[in-house]
Parts: sequence; structure tokens; C-alpha cells
Amino acid sequence: MRPSLRQTPTLLRRAAAARNACLATTTTIEASAPATRWQSSSSNNTTPPHNTPPQPHPNSSSVNAAEISHFNALAATWWDAHGSSRALHLMNPLRHDFINACRSSSPTSSSTTTAPPSDPKLRYLDIGCGGGIFAESATRLPTTLSVTAVDPSTTILAVARAHARKDPALTPQKLQYINASIETLPQDQFDVVSLFEVIEHVDQPADFLDRAEAFVKPGGWLVLSTIARTWTSWFTTNLVAEDIVGIVPKGTHDWYKYINEHEMRAHFEGRSVRRLGITFLGFSGWCRCIGMVLGLYDIGRNSNGGCWMAFITHYYQSTKAYTYRAARYATLT
Amino acid sequence: MESIIRRRAAAYVCRSCTRQSQRKLLQQQQQQQRQQRTYSSAAPRPDIYDVVCVGGGPAGLSLLAALRSNPVTSHLRIALVEAQDLSKTKSWALPPTQFSNRCSSLTPSSALFLDKMGAWAHLDRARVQPYHEMQVWDGVTDARIEFDWARDAITPAGARIGTHQQIIAYMTENLNLTSGLLKRLDQLGGVAVFDSAKVEHISFGAESETEDGPDLREWPVVHLAGGAQLSARLLVGADGANSPVRAFAGIEARGWDYGRHGVVATLELEGHADSWENQTKVAYQRFLPTGPVAMLPMPGNHATLVWSTTPENAALLKSLSPTDFIAMVNAAFRLSVTDLAFMHSPACTSQADEYAWRLGHTSSPSNHKALPQPATAVQPGTVASFPLKMRHADTYIGERVALVGDAAHTIHPLAGQGLNQGQGDVQSLVRTIEFAVGHGQDLGVRMSLEPYLAERYAANHVLLGVCDKIHKLYSVENGPLVGVRSLGLSAVNGLGGLKRFIMGRAAGGVGV
Repeated sequence: MRPSLRQTPTLLRRAAAARNACLATTTTIEASAPATRWQSSSSNNTTPPHNTPPQPHPNSSSVNAAEISHFNALAATWWDAHGSSRALHLMNPLRHDFINACRSSSPTSSSTTTAPPSDPKLRYLDIGCGGGIFAESATRLPTTLSVTAVDPSTTILAVARAHARKDPALTPQKLQYINASIETLPQDQFDVVSLFEVIEHVDQPADFLDRAEAFVKPGGWLVLSTIARTWTSWFTTNLVAEDIVGIVPKGTHDWYKYINEHEMRAHFEGRSVRRLGITFLGFSGWCRCIGMVLGLYDIGRNSNGGCWMAFITHYYQSTKAYTYRAARYATLT
Repeated sequence: MESIIRRRAAAYVCRSCTRQSQRKLLQQQQQQQRQQRTYSSAAPRPDIYDVVCVGGGPAGLSLLAALRSNPVTSHLRIALVEAQDLSKTKSWALPPTQFSNRCSSLTPSSALFLDKMGAWAHLDRARVQPYHEMQVWDGVTDARIEFDWARDAITPAGARIGTHQQIIAYMTENLNLTSGLLKRLDQLGGVAVFDSAKVEHISFGAESETEDGPDLREWPVVHLAGGAQLSARLLVGADGANSPVRAFAGIEARGWDYGRHGVVATLELEGHADSWENQTKVAYQRFLPTGPVAMLPMPGNHATLVWSTTPENAALLKSLSPTDFIAMVNAAFRLSVTDLAFMHSPACTSQADEYAWRLGHTSSPSNHKALPQPATAVQPGTVASFPLKMRHADTYIGERVALVGDAAHTIHPLAGQGLNQGQGDVQSLVRTIEFAVGHGQDLGVRMSLEPYLAERYAANHVLLGVCDKIHKLYSVENGPLVGVRSLGLSAVNGLGGLKRFIMGRAAGGVGV
């Protein structure tokens, strides 16, 4: 049997438990789990997910208590651009480029990058906003009407709200933080619904995506980014980032919760899905991260740092570890 | 080869005075706060700007003109703070036969940048002199390198902006540049200008008392004499070598003094002004053990002098009569190092007589272009000098602070790169701000400013180092180094490819 994205949570939990039990069992899991089990096929997927009403889940599909407590611990350093969230800060501009690319590809709103004044301004919903890195930046764009940013953790939202006060341009009218999970969020429709670096922390990804879809305006975009389940991503986000270098606290990423492109694509069967291989965690990104750890990157505190800067190049190298996806809801009403 | 006299800190406030006045202000503030508490008056509403630029020199004005003329950044709220009266600078005018002694050599890439922001057209072009050829030689050995686009470069001639390839640089009076930039800013509008304004001190903002109100504790606030307070999302220090903004940000500038002064003057050369029409012009620089002496072409029969020399020699030069001064200038390009040393000594009573006699005993090169036209007069009141130094700030950025131009670095003028480095900084900072604005980033935070630092720090560092090493290399009067450097210069002169590369660097040099 080939399970769809809907059925992955069980597998996820099993795999994660196995991994936690003993690293040596990885081989067993590999043999039985990844290669075939993670593949979902559209032919088997008789009921397209968007036609299935989301099953009310007793513990809610999205919120995982362990994840919340983990991110609460991270809250204090969320806005430290040289801290463990540095990668998020660095990749944030790419999210905007991606949204622009998506929107300019839609026939209905052809030229959004230049945004002629006649264009109506956009309403954003940022689910799992964390400290507000994306939410704040979306609010500042001249093409934005308002941003609603949602997170289930009150601790992180307190950080987000306190940080937003540091910029008078982020008025409460433009940027609104709501403490909610996707299940408790009042129904509304937005031009752009974003799920950045969220789906890999969710227990029931299929249900979660179905619920998120309901917030997308017809013709709007659901934009998400996540880490693909590849050897590169295991090596970089788990082994190097968490275990060896330690730039990301242990337990931030669970490799078994990562979702691959074809799984996502199968889930969005029937909708126009756009994918962009984002090239973030490439050479440059890692150079910066390593430089940061070794104290080379922060020239401000090191007068000799200038010499090191010369070795940090500014191009992004392609890797499969990171992918951005967006689904356009042209036909959904 | 650049005769910028740096915008000195004195134009604002010197550091010790700042400290004193800060102490005084602190006391005043404390008093005021006490009074405020007594009368419970509300704190003034902060006047919030996206960019506050302190310093209205070439770097600061270029930054504002570039930001205003860029469609992505034109909506930003911008303020300029300048100690001098800018209306005087804007209306600056001199008769066509008189030239200011403070000139700079603008590389074609700087000129292109100025053109892109729409400022180039506002310069008085009759006062701008492009040059196509450079003659550089060693005063001790006479080893020479000639840079001539007409001969060395592949591109055909054509002296208008846009086809810069054949032009090494444009000689421009600094006032012509700042005046043109101000006119462009006037045309663009939208900049809150605070001129004749003294920066009393810079502090951090306050947190609003209401829960939803802004928290500006990390925002710099510029306090001006007269009470205006400007809160800055990004505070740009374009405020010269002793930058108060840099001091506020706690950024050190390290380096050394060269123990040399740059003597500048506006010269008139032999031959009628009309005979210079349609001639391509040559820049001359001779490396003397005391420092390089350069004569750079200005329109007509005019030239500007930049002579780096010891403070004692500089003092002597400034005290000479015009006739003797001219004799010294001509001697500097023609006589031997020994002859020159004697002419600087107290034993020499009349430099003009001494020069006339010694020139007769010196052989002149066969190539008529190898030496500059003899100077015949110096324009009254144009002889001045300033100390030379090398400084580099530890960093160009801080939280909500960026430094550009001389606030970030001071270079030896021998390559004429000081002003161009500033233009390179501004170009990069504008690009950085444009990216931040386009991607919804807060343009003032360190994270957003990092690309500026990454782009400019190493590039400037290399250029500062190269000019520093050249200065040191040519300060040597004898020994094996002299032979090696001459060999090197002659070798470069013989190698077309390498020479073209160096010329390209000098012309587009800021990018390095």
C-alpha cells in the first residue's frame, strides 16, 4: 500500500520513535519506510484532499505541545540575526521573491512586482508566524494592505509583538498578531496565505493543509516552504546544524517529519501547483553560518574581519535540501 | 592626485567639545526632566525619518539624490543635516578663469553613477576637465609609466558621458560637484534639509508610554541646536574624517598619519587659453622621496597642484612669494632630487633665480608630453595645505547606523581615489537599501546593512593598502628598493595588457 500525505503522521511517529530509540535502527526504517512508503501516488489517492472536509481532530491537527515548548525556549533569540534563527532571516527575502514570482505568473494579476497603483493591496495570512520575521517584512511592503499573523504560542507572540513595536511603521492596524491555531482562527479569506517553515513541525500535515486552504481567496495563493527529506537535508539541518556545529538547538528539526515534493504535489492534485527549487542552504548560506559560529562573520567586533569577508561569496548554490511551493486557487470557490 | 580638503570635524564639533557639551547637555536634560516631571508636560512627539544623513558633502548629497531618484526608495522620508549654509554652496559661482583649489578626480564609474541619479547634468560642464593620459615617473631614477587611452586602449575616442572608456578621469572642483548635487536635490524635492545646523548630540529614542505605541529605544535621535530632534530608522554618517556619527556608534577608526601635508594651489600654465582648445589633456605625477607631486589639468590653461611633502616644506611653500612658489612647482617636475632639496633649504635665498640657473644644467626629456607645461602664475589665495593620513573604521555599520565616505575611510591622495571611494560606498549603500525596501526589511537594522559592509569593506581595504604601500615604496631615496621599483615601473610600462588592466582599475577603480 502506498500512503498519501494524509497517512504519513502514523509513519512519522513510528519512524521518529524508532530513531529516538536507537540510531542503529535507522537501517531498518530505511528498508521499510522511506523509499516506497513516502511515495504517494495520485491513482491511489481516490479522494483528493481538498474535497474531504477536515476531520475534527481531538488534539487539533496542527499544534504539537512538544514543538511549542521547544520554540518557546527559542523565543528570546528569535530576532538575534546572529543567533540560531539566522537562516530564517537570511532566507526571508527569497520568500518575497518567490511570492512575487508566483503572483506575476497568474494571468489575473499579471504585473505584481511593479505593482501599479491601481492594483488592490494585498491581505496576508501568515500561519505559524513565530517571532514575525516574515509577517513584519510583508507588512512593510508598499503593496500590502494588512497582515494577520497567527501562532499557537503565547510566549513567541509576546516576542513578536514587542519586536513590532520597535518599528513605528508596523501599526496595529496593518499588522495583527492573533494567538490561535488554525482550528480556532475565525474564518476569513486572504490573497496570500503563507506557511513558512511550518509544515515540518505539524503532526497532521494533510489536515493542516486542508484547513489552510479554506483561508485562501479564490485566485489567491497558498505559499509554503519546507525542508525536503533528502540526504542533503539530513546532513545539513540535522547532523551539521544540530549535532556537530550546534547553530540550531537540538530537536528543532525532525527529519522524519520533512515532506518531499512529490508528496506535496500529490496532496495538491487538481490545483495549479508551482514549485521553485530554492537554493538557500547552499555554499553561501553555510559559509555564513560557519563564519558566524567562528566569529569571523561579525566584522563589527573584529577589526581584522574584513579579510575574511572576501572569502564569503554571495551567490546561492543549488541544492535539493530546500524547496518552496505554492498552490494557486484559481478555481476554488 | 586629489585635492580634496577634507570636511573637518571642526565643521561640526570636535570630539572633546562634543564630550563637554554632552556632559553639559546631560545636566541640562536632567534639569529639564525634573522640570517636566514637575509640570508633567508630555514628551515631544518624535519626528521620525527613514534616513537621516549627517553631512552634506559629496557622499551625503549623492546618497540622498540617489535615494530620491530611485523609484523603489523615493517614498522614504529623508532628512539632511549640514553644518554649513547650503544656499551658499548651491549658488556658488566663480568667473570662468578662476578655479577653486579643492578639486577631485572623478572616475568614469563615479561620473556614470552621478549621471544615473541625474546630477551630472547639473554640474557646470565648462568647469569639468576630462583627461585621457597620465604620465607618472620616479623622481629618483626617472623610470616612467605612461597611460594613454588613445594608444593603449582599443576603444575609439568620443568625449561624452556614456562612452567613458577613453577617459581616465574628470577633474572637478568639489564645489561644482556639491552645487550640482544640491540643484538636483532641489529638483527632486522631498528632502527635509536642516542646514547651518549644529548637531548638539545624538542619543537614543524613548519607549512610548502607551502599550501599543512605538518603542524607539534603539533608534538614534539627532538633536540639533535650536531644539529639533530627528529620529532615524537609519542614521548615515557622511560627516567626515572625525565623524560624530561614528563616535556615537562607538566605531573606532584606525590608521596612521603620514607626517606629510598636501599642498594645493590653482596654477596658470604657459600658453594662451585658446591654444588649449581641443587638446587632450595629461595628468602628471612625479614621485619624490618627500611624497608625490601632481599637476592635474583644469579647463583652459589652468591646472590644479597637489604636492604631498613634509610639514616643514609645506610651511615654506606657503610662505613663498608667487614668483618663488612657481619656481618651486616647476622645479618639482624638472630638477633632480638633490637640486630640490637645496631649494628647500634656508641656504637658498631666491628660489626663482636658483631654478633658472639649475634648469640650464638639467637635461630635458625628448618627448614634449613627458613634462607638464611650465606654470606661469598661481591664483591668489589658492595655496593651502592639509595633513595626510590613513584611517579605516573597524566597520561601516552598526544597528541603525551606516558610515560612508571619509567617515569610513581616509586615503592618501596619490591615486585620486578618496572621493571615488565615497561614491562607491554610496552606490553600494543605495543598492543595499533598495534591496531591503523591496523585500520588506527594516532598512536600518544591521541584518539589512550587512551586504553593504560585505561589498565595500574588503574593496576599500585593498585600495587603502595599495596607496599606502605605494607611498612607502616611493619614500625610499636609495638602496636596492629604488632599482627594483624602477624596474617594476618600466616593466609595467612595457606590458600592454597589464597596463590596460591598471588603467581600467584607475578609471573604474572604485569597484576593485
